[in-house]
Amino acid sequence: MTAVSASPKGGALSIRNVAKIYDPDGAGVVALDDISFDVGAGEFCVIVGPSGCGKTTLLNAVAGFDTVTSGEILLDGALLSSPARRPAPGADRIVVFQNGSLFPWKTVLWNVICGPVQQGRMTRANAIRHARDLLGRVGLAGIEDQYPGELSGGMKRRVEIVRALINEPRILLLDEPFRALDALTKSVVQEYLLELYDLVPKTVFFITHDVEEAVFLADKVIVMTTRPGRVLKIIDVDIARPRSVHVLTSDRFLQIENDVRTAIHGEAQKAFEAGEREFA
Amino acid sequence: MTTIIRSAPSRARPSSTPVARTILWIRKRWKLEWILAAVSLSSLALLWEFAAPLGIPGVENLPPPSAVIRESAKLLHSELYWTAWGLSLRRIAYGFLAAQLVGVPLGLGLAMNRVALDTIFPVVEILRPIPPVAWIPVAIIFWPTRELSVVFIVFLGAFWIVLINTIGGAATIDPNYRRAAESLGSNRRDLFWRIILPATIPSIVIGMAVGMGLAWEMLVAAEMVAGNTGLGYLLWQGFEVNAISQCIVCMMSIGIAGLLSSQLVRLLGRFAAPWQRP
Amino acid sequence: MIQPIAPARGSLDAALPSGVPWWMRARRVLRSRRLYLAILGVGTFFLRWYMLVDVLRFWRFRELPGFVASIREWVSPNPVYGISLFTSDYYLHIWSSLYRVYSAFALATLLGITIGILMGWRRVFYGLTFPILELFRPIPVLAWIPLAIILLPGRELPIIGLTFLAAFFVTILNTLLGVRSIDPVYFRAARSLGFSELGILVHVILPGALPYIFVGLQIAMGACWFSLVASEIASGQAGLGYEVWQAYYYVQFETMVIIMATLGFLGYVSSALVRLVAHRLMRWRSSVIASV
Repeated sequence: MTAVSASPKGGALSIRNVAKIYDPDGAGVVALDDISFDVGAGEFCVIVGPSGCGKTTLLNAVAGFDTVTSGEILLDGALLSSPARRPAPGADRIVVFQNGSLFPWKTVLWNVICGPVQQGRMTRANAIRHARDLLGRVGLAGIEDQYPGELSGGMKRRVEIVRALINEPRILLLDEPFRALDALTKSVVQEYLLELYDLVPKTVFFITHDVEEAVFLADKVIVMTTRPGRVLKIIDVDIARPRSVHVLTSDRFLQIENDVRTAIHGEAQKAFEAGEREFA
Repeated sequence: MTTIIRSAPSRARPSSTPVARTILWIRKRWKLEWILAAVSLSSLALLWEFAAPLGIPGVENLPPPSAVIRESAKLLHSELYWTAWGLSLRRIAYGFLAAQLVGVPLGLGLAMNRVALDTIFPVVEILRPIPPVAWIPVAIIFWPTRELSVVFIVFLGAFWIVLINTIGGAATIDPNYRRAAESLGSNRRDLFWRIILPATIPSIVIGMAVGMGLAWEMLVAAEMVAGNTGLGYLLWQGFEVNAISQCIVCMMSIGIAGLLSSQLVRLLGRFAAPWQRP
Repeated sequence: MIQPIAPARGSLDAALPSGVPWWMRARRVLRSRRLYLAILGVGTFFLRWYMLVDVLRFWRFRELPGFVASIREWVSPNPVYGISLFTSDYYLHIWSSLYRVYSAFALATLLGITIGILMGWRRVFYGLTFPILELFRPIPVLAWIPLAIILLPGRELPIIGLTFLAAFFVTILNTLLGVRSIDPVYFRAARSLGFSELGILVHVILPGALPYIFVGLQIAMGACWFSLVASEIASGQAGLGYEVWQAYYYVQFETMVIIMATLGFLGYVSSALVRLVAHRLMRWRSSVIASV
């Protein structure tokens, strides 16, 4: 359980009866059906579910890339998204994308500092200092002048996380960010993410289909059903922070993981039979 | 922080009767693009029509659309015009087909055999930059008839691009396809006919489509310079006798002919490679 | 009718990783089999020319200018027909053509890229310009020769205008394709990071479209040379195209061959220059753009 300062702009998220229907006047594909849950300020929330359950749709609604058909999303008590209102994408709800979106034609350093510099929030020199500091924390000191094409997958993901965090967002949104990494790199990067999180806890909205990853990272795991996506179960993870890889074999961890797996397995089978694919 | 939970009413679904759906379809399709297209094309036509009276410099000798339309009506009835069509089309057909028949096998052969590629490709790279138009005098000298020289220039135009695209297509086949075939026990001939050739077809088709466009370019040049019949020649002749409307009509005819032939090639391509999205 | 094509695999200037020193690259080329096969191929070509035309005088080949004669003419200080490496006329023609090609190319690049990016960026602009483009694109560039002569004053402008036109369409199309080819995730990332519209234009659209733009520029360069020669034949007073035709007309076939070879060489060098600039500007690409 993380306790965070009760700042008014802490990034508390409320999802209220959100539904999303694609092509309402035509095929009427129901992606999300009456989703409701809360994420406290500074809480690490992980959404886990089978392919096609609408996790990315929900993330897009929060980030501002898509609308909701009904229901509301509130951020720190203020209305963020509703059928009548689509928020503009912004650095306060910054996204780390699944397949990587570092600008390949700019150096790592430019990629990291571009957010604050473009928004005019930091001077270039200041931003560079911050960038170097953050990059150092994730073990990437000295690569600032390389291009993303020269980096490995794990390095790129870390740079993207740093690029997101330097903007001091209210919510950090991550869309299956470690999906493309091999298992060993994945655990290393996960540890770095947790380290950064422990340093400055932010509200995190993390999507994955990997149950172990979900329980390892989260304060709260939200299990979703396959399409149409509904909240199946909300499970609190009460393992203390900071967490290391040793947690993965602890009794409590395995208990919770079992909980989640049992909940999700039936949905996974249904999704498989329905031939669901990720439309990432 | 407590908030008042208000869920917005879900959007009322419109009735799904056929009439309602048709109206919706029209409203969706009546896109901005069509309006914009109409605006720009009509302003262009108006500008052209009234360019001379408006005093825009340089257009004194340019006939307005009304004159062109009249001229086209006249031309469309003349036998000369349609003969020219036939002759030009025939030259295109010969030149283009020759380019395919020489270019595709050569390209595939070069792609299959590394030694041949390294030997012959440099020669290609030397000859290719020479504009086919510069070959016209050589073609006239070399070939016994004018007709053959014109067809040769058309051939040259399409040939280079077909060759390059074929080699490129064959050379960039995913090596996993090859490996899969070999591990399934195919011999070299099978490999070629069943793997390499089909995988190269999309590139060949692109080469054909672009080559067709270039073929028409070359035809115009060759007919203007060295021909005495055909649409390109008619175009140049119109200029020489100051019948500019004839020029314009010929320009548009050639454009339409080129468009139609390109579309034909694309259609053939879709037929030959149905697994490829157009 | 000019359409963009995807880059095809390249020629002798194959992909080599950047950062390898030049002398190492040169040594690698010298050691490779490819260089010698290339020499073999080119040598065979010239040998065949020599055999067919000079020696065997087979069929129509006897009409063609001889290989030896052409070379001799080219390097003689006092050529029979007035054009060789040592005459000033030769360089006059080269300069005329170069000047026309490069000014037309520069103009077409500037205008073409601007319009292409605007078309990719703003739907309204696209809706207005695309129909006009599609209307004019099927017409072969050379079919414009009469109109160009009528509409544009003087002798230089029609030639430059036609050369410009050839490059213009190709550049617009490939720029548009380039803008469209940018993975939408980059736009989302930029928006998420709080970029302004201008920022997106400068830092996402322009660099993202650059690869396709350069493929288009290579094609455009070839198109420039092609239409230059044709329009010079039609209406020039100096320049390589004009001279080729003159040489033919006055039965100076050796000169003709010299000019053709010069054209080929200049065309190749021009394309190579574009590729060089591309390589410099896009160092982030781990593979060199294939030549077209």
